[in-house]
Amino acid sequence: MNHKINRVIIVGGGTAGWLSAGIIAAEHCIASAGSDTVDSFQLTLVESPDIPTIGVGEGTWPSMRSTLQKMGISETDFFRECSASFKQGTLFKGWRTGADDIYTHPFTAPQSYSEVNLAPHWQTAREQINFAQAVSPQSALFADKLAPKQISTPEYAFNVNYGYHLDAAKFAEFLRKHCVEKLGVTHIKANVTAVNSAENGDIASIATDSHGNIEGDLFIDCSGSRALLIGDHFAIPVCSKSDVLFNNTALAAQIPYTDENDPIESCTLSSAQSAGWIWEIGLPTRRGIGHVYSSDHNTEERASEELLSYIASTVSEQAAAAATLRKVQFSPGHRAKFWHKNCVAIGMSAGFIEPLEASALVLVELSAAMISEQLPANRGVMDLVAKRFNDKFLYRWDRIIEFLKLHYILSQRRDTEYWRDNCEASSIPEHLQDLLALWRHQSPWHRDSHNVDEMFPSASFQYVLYGMDFETLTSQTQRRSEQAERLRAGSLFQENTARTRQLQASLPTNRDLINKIHTFGFQKI
Amino acid sequence: MSNYKILSKEAHKDLRVNTVRSAEYGDNIMYTMTFPMEFRDIQSCYPIFFCKDSESGQLYPAALLGFEQDENLFLSDSGWDASYIPMMVRRHPFLIGFQADPDGPEGATKPVVSIDSDSPRLIDSADKDSEEGEILFNQDATPSDFLQATIGTLESIHRGLEHNKGFIAALLEHELLESFSLKITLNDGSNNELKGFYTIAEQKLQSLDGDTLAKFNAQGYLQSIYMAIASFARLRPMIDKKNAQLP
Repeated sequence: MNHKINRVIIVGGGTAGWLSAGIIAAEHCIASAGSDTVDSFQLTLVESPDIPTIGVGEGTWPSMRSTLQKMGISETDFFRECSASFKQGTLFKGWRTGADDIYTHPFTAPQSYSEVNLAPHWQTAREQINFAQAVSPQSALFADKLAPKQISTPEYAFNVNYGYHLDAAKFAEFLRKHCVEKLGVTHIKANVTAVNSAENGDIASIATDSHGNIEGDLFIDCSGSRALLIGDHFAIPVCSKSDVLFNNTALAAQIPYTDENDPIESCTLSSAQSAGWIWEIGLPTRRGIGHVYSSDHNTEERASEELLSYIASTVSEQAAAAATLRKVQFSPGHRAKFWHKNCVAIGMSAGFIEPLEASALVLVELSAAMISEQLPANRGVMDLVAKRFNDKFLYRWDRIIEFLKLHYILSQRRDTEYWRDNCEASSIPEHLQDLLALWRHQSPWHRDSHNVDEMFPSASFQYVLYGMDFETLTSQTQRRSEQAERLRAGSLFQENTARTRQLQASLPTNRDLINKIHTFGFQKI
Repeated sequence: MSNYKILSKEAHKDLRVNTVRSAEYGDNIMYTMTFPMEFRDIQSCYPIFFCKDSESGQLYPAALLGFEQDENLFLSDSGWDASYIPMMVRRHPFLIGFQADPDGPEGATKPVVSIDSDSPRLIDSADKDSEEGEILFNQDATPSDFLQATIGTLESIHRGLEHNKGFIAALLEHELLESFSLKITLNDGSNNELKGFYTIAEQKLQSLDGDTLAKFNAQGYLQSIYMAIASFARLRPMIDKKNAQLP
């Protein structure tokens, strides 16, 4: 029971598998081939040569910057090889009323967020300026399709916070090369044919068609929705969340630019539809456009019509006529637990939910980072780490589900069954109902956080709440701190206006900066 | 704005170039690009730092001339007050450009001298006896001494640009550059802050191994690195100049 955990086997080679491999190998030194394997750390990724990767998750959070940096990746190489682009947040269209309404969720927190809560002070000016624009320069920047930095800004540094849009298939290949060539990860191309159990019920080894049995101490299931280990072998059930989040089908298309110099969006666009929403992600080489919807509320035919009409109106009639749609079905939900015995699931094997806030890749990063940080010293303590891991990620899934649901329940749309059903109290988790009742009287702020590493900071709740026109009533009591705070808030609003102008004048367009990265690259300093 | 044309003895035979150093002619610059081949002269007058080209983000060595935008502390009513004027200042209004070389292989280019036809330094006068400015071509259409010297400078710059690439790449590879900011408090209590500049990371330099030092020495980089470090001493006289200008 107390043997060391030295051999980690990752099953599956999509973005989840290679990202996990990279994160763990960036921290734990892997012994070079031929050295004593009993006491040295080994990381092996077993990938089927026959199963294509699904390429989920083309949007990242800002956390990806430090993830890549820690792995020793040059940001220039990443941009050049993964068709990457800058993402500064999300722009939501039609979510409030279904008409031309717009709000944004930028990656940058409001000005001096930890010092002053600007939300109550913005309330008095809410008719004149939208919340995001009043408190942060970022939404004005991505409205202009500007980049978050300049070519002279060092790699991974920024003027305003950013994450990425990327080509998931290229990203997996890029990570594979880095993991194998730089970090010492062993790559085996083989199909898993069976799972061999140890006496205690652990996985002793996986049987493969071309490499025999591969033994390990810890198995990471990154086999996607097939869930070979956590599902097929251990039969850990999935907790369905389809009663809260209805979307279960996606139609995805890749649309070329009309002209190769067309501007590239520097945020994800999310446009509400009759029974779902359409995403648009700008890469340097193409747009990724897709419709995610509820098959209980919409037919595939109608959903494709809505998608094609979006493409026709935002790109061109020709692009819509030429589009091929790829259908992906999923059941929204997650495993009842993610770490069972000596097996832990990361990526789609752990769970999947609509990509409304691009939570797929960040969950991979967080999962792999926790495994890496808390890598059990021996089998004896593994169950304790597993429990911690499960508690933490069940909590995180609940927060993600609540945060996504928040986007729907604040809508004034009642035009279809879908929007009406979304606002049914029975579909809203109780914890979220409580929060809403509370937020009616006090705005969320950083002191609300239960955990130091909450998935969504309270600033994100502010952006969605006030972007969706939610009203927090003014304080019942006369606050002694109010006057001083109001003055401070006033000057912060002014600073924000000045900083917005200054950044608008100095930042290049997203397209322009990406071209320069391809030509010159970023400096490390 | 600049408007560079290829220099020709036909189109430019009567042209003269004013070599007076003054803000009027665009010499009021805070810093200018320099090259290791002139470091010896530069470091006797100006501090050498490194900065980034705003269009490409690429680093290059620069001679510091002032502490704020459009300030050149070496300019006075009587011209440029220093024993050495950087090549990139002296080159004006000329530039080395490239054009297809018909005699070379496919895609080959050859360097050509270009002139900024919008430069305020240009005087178009057929009066060869005029005292004003420097002539470009002699009566017999041969290049003047001034033009020959300028072409020499342009050729040095051309080599210097290539040399800078290798020099900077070597510094970056060994992490020998670090970001640097300098706050200068003047006698009247006002502050000037220099930002966006880089300098030699001396701690890294001191920990370089013998092989790297030997390689740097053979490439001539070692001397350039130490000249850049030594050039810091030129900051003090600049601060004195600045203080002397205070009202």
